[in-house]
Amino acid sequence: MKQRTALLALTLAGSLALAGCSPASDAPDSGGDGIGGTPTAGGTLRVLQNADFSHLDPAQGFDGGVNNFYRLIYRTLTTQGTGEGAEGTEIVPDLATDLGTHNDDATEWTFTLKDDIFFEDGTPITSADVKFGVERALDPSISIGSPYAKIVLDIPEGYEGFYSSGPLDSIETPDEKTIVFHLNQPYADFAAVVAQAPFTPFPADAGVTTTSVDQQPIASGPYRVTEYQRGSTLVLERNEHWSKESDDVRGAYPDSYEWSFGLDGATIDERMIAGQGDDRNAIAGSVQAASIARIQTPEIQERTIQGLQGCTTYMPMNTTKPGMDNPLVRQAINLAVDKQAVKDGTGGSQLADIATTMMPPTVAGFTEFDLYPSDDFAGDPEAAKDLLTEAGYPDGFSFVLDIRNNPKMQAQAEAIQQSLAKAGITVEFNLIDSSTFYEVIGTTSQQHDAAITGWCPDWASGATFLPPIFEGTQIYEKGNSNVAQLNDPAVNARIAEIRAMTDVDEANAAWGELDEQIMELAPAVPLLFEKAVMVVGSNIAGAYAHAGFSGGIDYVSVGLADPEK
Amino acid sequence: MSTVPSELAVESEAKGALPTGGAPTPARRVIATLMKSPAVVVSVCIIVFIALLAVCAPLLAVITGWGPYDFDKSAIDSDLGGIPIGPLGGISAEHWLGVEPGNGRDILVRVAYGAQVSLTIALSATLVTMTLGVVLGMVAGFFGGLADQIISRVMDFLMAFPTLIFMIALLSALPAGNRPVLLVIVLSIFGWPYTARVIRGQTMTLRNSEFVEAARASGARPMRIAFREVLPNLRGTIIVLATLAVPGYIGTEAGLSFLGVGVMPPTPSWGQMISTAVGWYAVDPMFFLIPGTFLFLTVFSFTVLGDHLRTALDAGDAA
Repeated sequence: MKQRTALLALTLAGSLALAGCSPASDAPDSGGDGIGGTPTAGGTLRVLQNADFSHLDPAQGFDGGVNNFYRLIYRTLTTQGTGEGAEGTEIVPDLATDLGTHNDDATEWTFTLKDDIFFEDGTPITSADVKFGVERALDPSISIGSPYAKIVLDIPEGYEGFYSSGPLDSIETPDEKTIVFHLNQPYADFAAVVAQAPFTPFPADAGVTTTSVDQQPIASGPYRVTEYQRGSTLVLERNEHWSKESDDVRGAYPDSYEWSFGLDGATIDERMIAGQGDDRNAIAGSVQAASIARIQTPEIQERTIQGLQGCTTYMPMNTTKPGMDNPLVRQAINLAVDKQAVKDGTGGSQLADIATTMMPPTVAGFTEFDLYPSDDFAGDPEAAKDLLTEAGYPDGFSFVLDIRNNPKMQAQAEAIQQSLAKAGITVEFNLIDSSTFYEVIGTTSQQHDAAITGWCPDWASGATFLPPIFEGTQIYEKGNSNVAQLNDPAVNARIAEIRAMTDVDEANAAWGELDEQIMELAPAVPLLFEKAVMVVGSNIAGAYAHAGFSGGIDYVSVGLADPEK
Repeated sequence: MSTVPSELAVESEAKGALPTGGAPTPARRVIATLMKSPAVVVSVCIIVFIALLAVCAPLLAVITGWGPYDFDKSAIDSDLGGIPIGPLGGISAEHWLGVEPGNGRDILVRVAYGAQVSLTIALSATLVTMTLGVVLGMVAGFFGGLADQIISRVMDFLMAFPTLIFMIALLSALPAGNRPVLLVIVLSIFGWPYTARVIRGQTMTLRNSEFVEAARASGARPMRIAFREVLPNLRGTIIVLATLAVPGYIGTEAGLSFLGVGVMPPTPSWGQMISTAVGWYAVDPMFFLIPGTFLFLTVFSFTVLGDHLRTALDAGDAA
């Protein structure tokens, strides 16, 4: 369920308009200031974007792009850090004074709120508001965002959110500054859970309804929404009640932000490359493959940011289908895929790195390995043929691949089709409309033998990466993210073991090893770690790609070099 | 003053024509007229060339050594977003018309296979719409009454439809299946009324002509009159309509493929190539120009030929 939206940001709109991130090695300069040094306060920062944000309501929106945006108008108990690479994915306190304290088995977590924190109307944010925010987000009509509150909080059977079922007993507020969460399981990483958007506070007594927030958000962060025309424009202006002293994360340099939605990808590239007029103060998402050759001039390179999106593009194989249920067949497919061709089709080395593991390098505990190697990643059709013969398919094999009706995905699919043909494997395409793609492949009765999809972690941990896509207990008839439908007892048992670990570092290392254990079964072909390449305006400062937000430019750190321009 | 001689000229021409053949527009004279026009000669040459290209596509693949689906990684620059290496979109001895960016497939071979797809679909759709249009148009025009009412209302209904929007909706909703066949069916459903309407009108005129009266008086059955007496007189109209329908269908097929609801990848198609090329126009204009030129030339040639054919046949009819 959850990753359907997260994926949307990653692949469908790969260039949505807010992608791109930069591993530390690509850092243009030190100090995490990103390109152009430290911004000066003031001015209007413009964002050119293809698609509008999914939801302004943090209970509903759930992808890298919108999570990045939420930090401008909302605050949560904790949040991701700022800075490139691991600095950005580290969890730091936000509304809370620290990362919380827990009891011995990590089932009870206590957070204390800072002083001087206010909503946009000037009322102080209390623990009751945080509690109300979570209870509201649990309403079934809007709980389509991050699912972790539902998963880990101790919620009684049949609880349907604040409006139907009233207050939730497992969240206690002994006083205005203290909030205690009772969990249904030990959860060592709960500090990362409260950074998820559904933990955004809303005034408990201000007549907030299920739908009102999506129409008119109530800001707790440094900006408030002053103008919003769905699909067209969004304007943010300063929330005067937010104080810099209470916030160690947000730079909040510009006086206002202005989004333009509905622009064509090629148009955005054209405008960013030209960088004239107001576009000097603009940022945008990743450029298209066709524009890569045009941004190689020194002038444009100076204002280009590049980095991993922190997601994996992969091809899950439906292990319940005849043929695909044979690990030898899946291994043969893994061997035969020409990943270099897939990469070229995606836009070449600047827009993608080749993946040999499921977990991307931005996830803690990432372990590098390649179980199905070939020269130059060009695939090894001979070895694949041998495996197919061994599996009982000496005359080849054929399967149907679900793909989205979009040029990049088709290019990837054609590369796969072409390379598998050399190993005697015939691939037929099932083209699915972009808007219903995840619904179709997430419905077990409708998906075919394989699909091309992507996965982004909800925070930089294997816990939000491997279980949702490979755990046997997470196969659902609808909204299924375990597209491979892998249900392997050894893998399931190991996931349960790692979950029970209370040491986060030990757990992270274990996820890395589990990745290899899963890849031995070959339920999927890891294809690419896609990258974002973003051109920013010449007056932009402090722009860097945030690994926690699908590689988008961190909105709370970017600003203008000279607001007078 | 000046009108009189010209009328005379037409009359004498017509008189001269009559003895050579029974039909009102002798094929030989039409061909002779057409051959005098350089535009027609060029158009026919282009059409023949493209038809040859389509037929010989597999041969071309053997000669160049590149199949329509073969990737050539060495022809593109992975570090620059996959643009073709070399000038003019990678035109070289290896790839005569360059390669596609991103995968290095040979454009010439794909254009040839694309011609196969385009022409097959357009010609099949023309055949189906002509058959349907002529039969239904003649039935409506010749028999009149209830048959005319029903057929005319169906035609009005189909012609009033926002065709393109409906085609897109229909093709997106239908399962992938056999796309070319689906395209022919969809194009035909919306295409036949345009033929049928013209045929109906012509049939209504012919129905009352003397030779039909004569046939009727001699006891011929209505069906026989329709197909033996009326149909041969519609020959010219049908040829013109068919020639002008082909470019229309080629354009529509390319348009639908451009919009992503036509021929499915990786099957090469001109519309799809142009659609992919849109994003690349700034760095690799040849990728856009080559399939675009082929599409333009094909549509243009058929249109020029059709126009001239109509003029030539009209001149014959006037006689």
